[in-house]
Amino acid sequence: MTDLKLIQEHDFWRGSFAAMASPCEVLMEVDDEALAKNILHAVSAEAHRIEHKFSRYNDNNIIFKINNAGGDTVKVDDETARLIDFSANLFQLSDGLFDITSGVLRKAWNFDASDNVPEPEDIAILLSTVGWHKVKWINNNITLLPKMQIDLGGVGKEYAVDRCIQIVREITRQSVLVNFGGDLATTSPRKNNGFWSVGRLITGKEHSVALFQLRKGAIATSGDAHRYLLKDGIRYSHVLNPKTGWPVKGSPHTVSITAPTCIEAGMLSTLAMLQGEQAEEFLKLQEVNYWIN
Amino acid sequence: MQLKKIKGQMSLAAGVLLQVSSPSSQAQGSEWDVDSAVLLYSEGDGRVSAFEPAIYAGRDLQYGDRIDLRLVIDALTGATPNGAYATSQAQTFTTPSGNGSYTTKAGDTPQDDTFHDTRVAIGADWTMELDRLSKLTLGANLSTEYDYTSLGISGTYARDFNNRNTTLTAGLALNNDLIKPVGGLPAELMPMVTQDSPLNRDGDSDTKVITDFLVGITQVVDRKTIIQINFSLGLTDGYQNDPYKILSVVDTNGDLASTGIFNTGTTGNLPYVYEKRPDSRQRNSLYFKTVHHFEEDVINFSYRYYWDDWDITSHTLDLKYRYQLAESYLQPHIRYYMQSAAEFHTHNLLLGTDVDTAGNVLLDYASNDYRLAESETLTLGLKYGIPMGENSELSMRAEMIRQTVTDDSNVPAAEATPDLDAVVLQVNYSFVW
Amino acid sequence: MRKLSFIVLVIVITGSGCSSMGVQPWERDLLAKKSMKLNPDYLDNFFDEHIYFSKEATSGGQGVGGGGCGCN
Repeated sequence: MTDLKLIQEHDFWRGSFAAMASPCEVLMEVDDEALAKNILHAVSAEAHRIEHKFSRYNDNNIIFKINNAGGDTVKVDDETARLIDFSANLFQLSDGLFDITSGVLRKAWNFDASDNVPEPEDIAILLSTVGWHKVKWINNNITLLPKMQIDLGGVGKEYAVDRCIQIVREITRQSVLVNFGGDLATTSPRKNNGFWSVGRLITGKEHSVALFQLRKGAIATSGDAHRYLLKDGIRYSHVLNPKTGWPVKGSPHTVSITAPTCIEAGMLSTLAMLQGEQAEEFLKLQEVNYWIN
Repeated sequence: MQLKKIKGQMSLAAGVLLQVSSPSSQAQGSEWDVDSAVLLYSEGDGRVSAFEPAIYAGRDLQYGDRIDLRLVIDALTGATPNGAYATSQAQTFTTPSGNGSYTTKAGDTPQDDTFHDTRVAIGADWTMELDRLSKLTLGANLSTEYDYTSLGISGTYARDFNNRNTTLTAGLALNNDLIKPVGGLPAELMPMVTQDSPLNRDGDSDTKVITDFLVGITQVVDRKTIIQINFSLGLTDGYQNDPYKILSVVDTNGDLASTGIFNTGTTGNLPYVYEKRPDSRQRNSLYFKTVHHFEEDVINFSYRYYWDDWDITSHTLDLKYRYQLAESYLQPHIRYYMQSAAEFHTHNLLLGTDVDTAGNVLLDYASNDYRLAESETLTLGLKYGIPMGENSELSMRAEMIRQTVTDDSNVPAAEATPDLDAVVLQVNYSFVW
Repeated sequence: MRKLSFIVLVIVITGSGCSSMGVQPWERDLLAKKSMKLNPDYLDNFFDEHIYFSKEATSGGQGVGGGGCGCN
């Protein structure tokens, strides 16, 4: 936690640090430097706590324990259970398109802009260990098939933003914005009914930034224009359908959505990506503010 | 995947994940939910009337805990049947304190009109979230009036299963009650005496201990339906008489006894004896409730079957139907109750059969409390509620209660226990503070 | 009769494992309404319990606790 930075802008404090493989920012409309420091410490501590607890790269956490149980049942704590419950809900809401067991497919897919498309046989073998419906999940006890894995990375960052918002609200009533790598939320409107200006990077031939005003709530963005494969003129997006093991066709490059909480915004944008060509139609149905390209 | 609108469902799932009831409530601090009410209860004909203000307040605390508090004040005046029955002559009774008397006109059901009391009851429940799926509620209650004090504690454990669709509940309550009647405890099955004679008394006070166990299950059936089934077992040990209730002693002609020990002029004994009930009672009940949401309206129905070792069984049906109007609602209520008599319930004691000439009552137990008789109660009510702003509601209800003793077989029809007609009027105001 | 009631209760409890009953968290919109609580009219119920406790021989069933009084 030595990487914490705090600087004063003209009417707010900007704190920054790195966590969850992303640049993290905390914008605080407070006058007092000590208070800003407190908030920044609290947010950074919570971000690191969640990263440490749920990262699949850690070999000493609950995710590692679940993924290496070799078919045995693992009892999980309440917070993990809530995240798994939520993920299970999403699995059902998305008819199986959102699946925390789909991470093993990354063994075959490496979206490095090359033409390295995997063999269908390899995908078929991996698919035998994908599918939330194969998991036994009863009263905080989870049992995976051997070689199955779960990955809460798809919800972790957005969850961390919302948790930090809850924590900051207990420290101050003044407006604070928490931004973890483009997934962001605010605690309350700014003074004088003001807003935070948020820039959204529009990728394309020439990158540009669109600015918009966020008064309250959250924004999350899904998509990454740099992660794809190109073979025989076909562009394979990095959005994988866990039911087929192959990329979804026609996904937008990026989708941004506003919602009351970051987790809602993030999951709606993720589900939109999974709709492929129907992404925009899906977003219209949700009656939310969105940006797509 | 078929495209569908999932925003609302997503929002609820996120609320569960972040442990907030709804995402929009995140910003609000914890507040008191307050419900206040005043109830007027009147039986008419100079019988009991009551004025009862009450207040309830509950709030969520940190870590999923919750506290609920309540206070009721119950001011009673009026008369209640004393258990003797109407005769063709005027009857005179000694007041419970022994230093006064009251007279009932010929043909009237004798009522003790010295009855007035103010009761204060307070209670608190603390609910703790033990873990994500289980809760423990600890409660304490105190009720006090000039001749009665009740102190109780309770604990209820509830655990959710099946994605929180099933809740199993286990509860235990202990109550310790102190009965301290005016003028002391009447000697059981001994004659009432004239106000100038030494009272038949058996100490100043007594106690009873009540233990209740409950196991229950609540099940969400579907998006619109929830059901609950409880089984409860209650044990009461100790003093269970009503110290103000008596029975008439009659001779074979149906007249009040006036010979031997009941010759009031020479013995000072009136032809009435104080009741006696067993000092233990085991109560059981099976309770079923369902709440169902129609398109707009809500129905709330319950049925209780009760049985105990005093031979009383009862059936209770209760139905509330909430008609949702544009903003407000109208809620008719119907309740039907029927009970069988306690095995020792009797309308009077027959000289020579139930009581010998020396005044010894030959029965183990006897009571003519109308509440232990075979009876039925019908309640019809209507409630109207209207929201007052975002978090407040004003409501009022009126209910009519008719209670009928259905087995007056061994007394002449004219002397049967009269029907009880009562009216309840209540105004509620609930708000968030 | 006592034996029968226990049998009924046991059947209900074991039958509750039936997975076709129940809803998902996002289907709790109606269940979350105050009117869908098992006991939505807290004080009404409190008064009624007291009135009928003082007028009838039997009481209870809904839960434990709540306190006694000398009215019966």
